Amino acid sequence: MIKNYFKIAWRNLMKHKVFSLINVIGLTIGLSASFVIGLIIYYDASFDTFHKDKEQIYRVVSDFYSPDGEFSVPGVTLALEDAIKDNSNFETVSGFYIERPSKVENRENGSEFKWPNFVIFTDANYFKIFNYKFLAGDTTDLLSNPNNVILTKNRASDYFPNTSPSDIIGKTLVYNDSLNVTVTGIVENFKERSDFFFEEFISHPTLLNTRLRENIISKDWNNTNDSSQLFVKVASNANLSSIQKRFDDLAKEHQDEDSKKYGEEQVFSLQPLSDIHFNQRYGIYDWSKGQANKSLLINLSLVALFLLVLGCINFVNLNTAQASQRAKEIGIRKTLGSTRKQLIIQFMGETFLLVIVSALLSILLSKSLINVFSDFVPEGLSFELFKTPVIIFGIIILLLLVTFLSGFYPALILSRYNTVSVLKNHTAIGENKVKLRKFLTVFQFSIAQVFIIATLLVGRQITFLLETDMGFKTDAIVSVFSPRAEREISKKEIYAEKLRAIPEIKEISVGGTPPASISTNSTTVTYNDGVNEINSDLQFIFGDINYSKVFELDILAGRTIRNDTVKELVINETCMRKLGFKNPEDAIGKTVMLSDQSIPIVGVMADFFQRSLKSDVKPMALRGDWHRPDWSQFQAIHIALQSESSEGLQSTLVKIEDAYKSVYSESDDYRIEFLDETIQSFYNREQKISRLLNWATGLSILISCLGLLGLVVYTTNRRVKEIGVRKVLGASLLQINTLLCKEFLILVAVAFVIASPIAWYGISHWLQDFAYKTNISFWVFLASGLAMLFFALLIISVKTLQAANANPVESLRSE
Amino acid sequence: MINTLLSLNEATRTVNSGSNKVTLLNNINLDVKEGEFISLMGPSGSGKSTLLNCIGMLDSFTDGGYTFLGEPVHSMKEKNRSKLYKEYIGFVFQAYHLIDELNVYENIETPLLYKNVKSSERKAMVADMLDRFNIVGKKDLFPVQLSGGQQQLVGVARALIGKPKLILADEPTGNLNSKQSEEIMELFAELNKEGVTIIQATHSEKNASYGSRVINLLDGKIVSE
Repeated sequence: MIKNYFKIAWRNLMKHKVFSLINVIGLTIGLSASFVIGLIIYYDASFDTFHKDKEQIYRVVSDFYSPDGEFSVPGVTLALEDAIKDNSNFETVSGFYIERPSKVENRENGSEFKWPNFVIFTDANYFKIFNYKFLAGDTTDLLSNPNNVILTKNRASDYFPNTSPSDIIGKTLVYNDSLNVTVTGIVENFKERSDFFFEEFISHPTLLNTRLRENIISKDWNNTNDSSQLFVKVASNANLSSIQKRFDDLAKEHQDEDSKKYGEEQVFSLQPLSDIHFNQRYGIYDWSKGQANKSLLINLSLVALFLLVLGCINFVNLNTAQASQRAKEIGIRKTLGSTRKQLIIQFMGETFLLVIVSALLSILLSKSLINVFSDFVPEGLSFELFKTPVIIFGIIILLLLVTFLSGFYPALILSRYNTVSVLKNHTAIGENKVKLRKFLTVFQFSIAQVFIIATLLVGRQITFLLETDMGFKTDAIVSVFSPRAEREISKKEIYAEKLRAIPEIKEISVGGTPPASISTNSTTVTYNDGVNEINSDLQFIFGDINYSKVFELDILAGRTIRNDTVKELVINETCMRKLGFKNPEDAIGKTVMLSDQSIPIVGVMADFFQRSLKSDVKPMALRGDWHRPDWSQFQAIHIALQSESSEGLQSTLVKIEDAYKSVYSESDDYRIEFLDETIQSFYNREQKISRLLNWATGLSILISCLGLLGLVVYTTNRRVKEIGVRKVLGASLLQINTLLCKEFLILVAVAFVIASPIAWYGISHWLQDFAYKTNISFWVFLASGLAMLFFALLIISVKTLQAANANPVESLRSE
Repeated sequence: MINTLLSLNEATRTVNSGSNKVTLLNNINLDVKEGEFISLMGPSGSGKSTLLNCIGMLDSFTDGGYTFLGEPVHSMKEKNRSKLYKEYIGFVFQAYHLIDELNVYENIETPLLYKNVKSSERKAMVADMLDRFNIVGKKDLFPVQLSGGQQQLVGVARALIGKPKLILADEPTGNLNSKQSEEIMELFAELNKEGVTIIQATHSEKNASYGSRVINLLDGKIVSE
């Protein structure tokens, strides 16, 4: 029986090749998208799910609220750990401190490792919360003494190649040239997906022998650093609200006078372990690994869902349209004794076969899709994931669901045929479903139309963001960053001197970050105008006397700073207004208070965008490098090039790098950034959305138009006789084409009417994130509507022109 | 003693066509005994096909009684009715109504699939049937590759495969030439001798002469026997 069903299903697929192909393409696209996106979701959701008692594990995080806004830190003050250690709600409390040593040496074999990453300072409790498998070493008294370290197997094999774990125990590593640390344990790396990929666990007391000694001893409640992490395992019967209350009480108790005065508030809260991989507010430990983005995942799922639904709609449409062609078979089968249930099973079987074919194609396709969508696919995700039982199970469920969605309704319609009327050739049933097909087609085109409008508008906003004048020079400027560890200025000056000899360079400035960057350095400034004391947040950019020249900052009044170290400020207009000055000239010569120092304002510069156009312009000041020689804020050499074209750029860049190498001969940390690229990178997220939309638009247009083509093929085939008669009566090609296209174009037009407000609403919602935005203009809607109409017309005409061109003698004879 | 296969008692079928009530069959009284070969005659629209369809349980009478092998069909549930006709009734159509997607072998096999006959048994039964109708060589051909006569042969073979007690044939030779018609009618006569009851609708006096009993219909009424 089953064999028979599949046989006839296969023959039917082959008989109607065009329809089958349309169905398979539509379903394959939908399924491929679902597979890949399903994999992504599965991948992200399976992080850190293997820990014992994972529901009881939390990270304590800090949020800061002030009248100027709020920000979040994934760490907490060092003081918090001691304050909650003895609370009975917590089973285990473990703090650790992330600190990257500048150098680790294995002096035994003379190997040296610079800036090893994923090094933490912690204690035995860490291993109580997270279960590591110990390969060697005593586990009874973990990390209680200073100068002990536990290594993971991977890290151990770096430091001590070809040594068995038990032999490594007791050996010594030298950190930062002077700190002798003994290896007391080797643990296995987590084999499962985890965000906890720390490789070296140094005993917490060792921190007292590092540069952080002061911080560790003082345990200042007002000092929060994201390196200072605190994990807790709450008791199984813990009262979470009483924990939160304790946190709130502690925060209130230790709030300092200034915070009270300025209305600043600190809040500690518990972040569940399962939230860490998804919550971008607090981040994960390795910034280079993409963190899961819930809203992106939701958007991706929506796209997959829409594509899948579009595919299913094609199926329903084409199969109900085709129903009358199968009516005879159905009638005969009924007279031969088939029950309605058996017929439904048969048709569902056919659908399932088609879905299986699509699924197989999709799995093949997914392999390449993972590459195409590399922007969205997490780094560690591989095709191998398809072999996981959960995924296989999920795929089977999805296939059954798709089969049901696309197959059930047509099967119901088909099996409902009245035997007698079918056998008498009164097959009018397919006609009744015209309304449903119209509805579904409108639905499809509405989705495609929404995607088109959204793509155009998002594209416009991105162009707007990139083309808006930032307020300073962004082209033909490169920044070369000094080695990370360098604290002094001397080498930078030597380097700058060497660069001045290169003729292609117009201007050079030694300074901090460029005017627009993702890092900020800010403090509070106070100005007393004789009556009131005005407070304002103030961000800094650091630079020498050439800084304003290189970036072509517009000085509205006064002058730029006189030399690199003089304590003067050049404030921007926003800061000037915040401090209460009307005109730039008024601010010149006034002094403001910066943490107990009076600093004169010597200039006012025009506002420029300090970050992306998503945020407003904030009060900002240009200042010199005040803390020399102890410490230098200058980390980069900014270079304005003579020529803005790319011609000769390569050779100039080589010269810049050569000069760098001659100064920093021992460093391999050459970092160069193009300012225009940095600004583009502000909009990576938007670019991603735009790319996703492009794909979604293309595919949804493709599926919808294919479905439309199927319907057109079907209806024109049915109207062959009518076309023939009309031609004999003298209708022109154009008239017939108009006649055939009209009903479909009306559907597309209706879809446009439905889609426009939806797209408008969605886009205005999206645009709310931006402080500066383009207007949603009328012509974009018009253009996208016309585009959709054009696509539809193109597709329809392929078939209608062919039908209209046919010789009427043929069609009339065959009828 | 010859058993009664079916009996109709005041059987009537009316349909609504727009606002008019149209009577297709009007108070039909008919007893069919096992082994009879009945020819229904009458002009187009006289109700022959409707009567066949109703007897075959594809349609139902709107009024009156219908008893098949002693069971009241008119008060039966759809499921039991389908079981009944699956078991006892075979159809032969004017337009053959073979399934175009299936070859000769599969077309003949299909009723057995719906009766849940085991695979080995099916093979044997279909092979017998192909043998009997001399179409073994055509078993892998599809309907479009056959002549009308051959298609109807397959149609009859398919109707017979389930070993029905009753064969309902709606103008079985209507699309055939005279030689092919003759062959099919000979076949019916032979089947009838073997004990199969046959009811056929026909326009042809010659075909009717093969039967044991002729019933004339006009405007949904039996006018003469």
